[in-house]
Amino acid sequence: MIQETTFAYKPGEHEREKASNGYLMSLVALIAGLPLPIINLLATFFFYLANRKGTYFVRWHCTQALLSQLALLGINSASFWWTISILFTDEKASNEYFAYIFSVIIFNLLEIFSTIYAAVQTRKGKHVQFLFFGNITNLICRP
Amino acid sequence: MMKKTILQGLIIVLGFFLIWFGFSQLDFMTFFKVKERTEFVENKLGDLIWEEISNTEDVITNDTLVKTLDKLVNPICEANEIERDSLKIHIVQKDEINAFALPNNHLVVYSGLIEDCKKQEALQGVLGHEIAHIEKNHVMKKLSKEIGYTVLLSATTGGKGAQMAKEVLKMLTSSAYDRALEKEADITSVDYMIKAKIDPKPMADFMFQMAQDSKIPDGMSWIIDHPESEERAKYIMDYIKDKKLTSNETISEKEWKTFQEQLKN
Repeated sequence: MIQETTFAYKPGEHEREKASNGYLMSLVALIAGLPLPIINLLATFFFYLANRKGTYFVRWHCTQALLSQLALLGINSASFWWTISILFTDEKASNEYFAYIFSVIIFNLLEIFSTIYAAVQTRKGKHVQFLFFGNITNLICRP
Repeated sequence: MMKKTILQGLIIVLGFFLIWFGFSQLDFMTFFKVKERTEFVENKLGDLIWEEISNTEDVITNDTLVKTLDKLVNPICEANEIERDSLKIHIVQKDEINAFALPNNHLVVYSGLIEDCKKQEALQGVLGHEIAHIEKNHVMKKLSKEIGYTVLLSATTGGKGAQMAKEVLKMLTSSAYDRALEKEADITSVDYMIKAKIDPKPMADFMFQMAQDSKIPDGMSWIIDHPESEERAKYIMDYIKDKKLTSNETISEKEWKTFQEQLKN
């Protein structure tokens, strides 16, 4: 799920802090932005914009944080609008609905723990790659 | 690298769907008592609205009149396996031509509508239409859609129940359901009547009659609430065109006329 690899170079103290903040930003915004799933993505996106001219290490981790948030946006938005339609329209709650909500909760928890872990590790200067998102980041983020 | 990335992406997507599928095998609806809670809201809301009506309107409790109306409804229920006791049918003394279904299986029919029906079958058709709204759960569908389930829930648990009941009553008595739901109720009512060996033609005639009379400004709620009455009459006639109809009068013509007369007085 999360893989620790060696980065192209050894990041400096300042880079580690900024890269770690990229994850923390998404985490804080995720909690503050609930139940609106777009807030955390926006916060991560603006942090990414602010750091897109940063060093490779910082850019890489901001991109990974942004991509993993992007994936959550889809499933969180679906759960948000599904809930709204149950509360305010004639849509009925069903086993599928509850199952979806619990699946989304599990994926959000996974995301939260992965983000915390990544924030801690990058602060230590370690390079962590998420499954799938790490590879995508490697493809789009160049030194 | 690309292949590996796509594979990992697929694993995540597949993982999500597998978890979703796994969870959906559990019976959350029973665990969270969703049905019981929904029923509680419906029952409480229905009773609140009925309380509002019985406090403000003149409800007819005369045994003869209530029993005659029961006689007209019973064949529809018996032929269509509808539990008669589950329906709470009330006659309200009011000139307005109206009948409507409320939550918790309350069905209210105004004396004005009964007096305006030329034939008993027309009244049975209207009653069948409202029973169909109840049986198909149209009432709660409409309320959930137009007011929202959370607002309904707060009405039944909070202190503003009476105020809310007034507003819901106004909505149920003065606006129609979706066109699709109205048509479903019409056709279901015709089916009920055919099964009960009641001629549905007078129901269509009643709608034609209402469409003709609709220039009369006041007291035409049932038809104003149910626009396109002519169109409805037509599709009912189309629907029964090839059906084999039997015509059994539930009560005698004399009893029907007496029933109407007694309501007038």
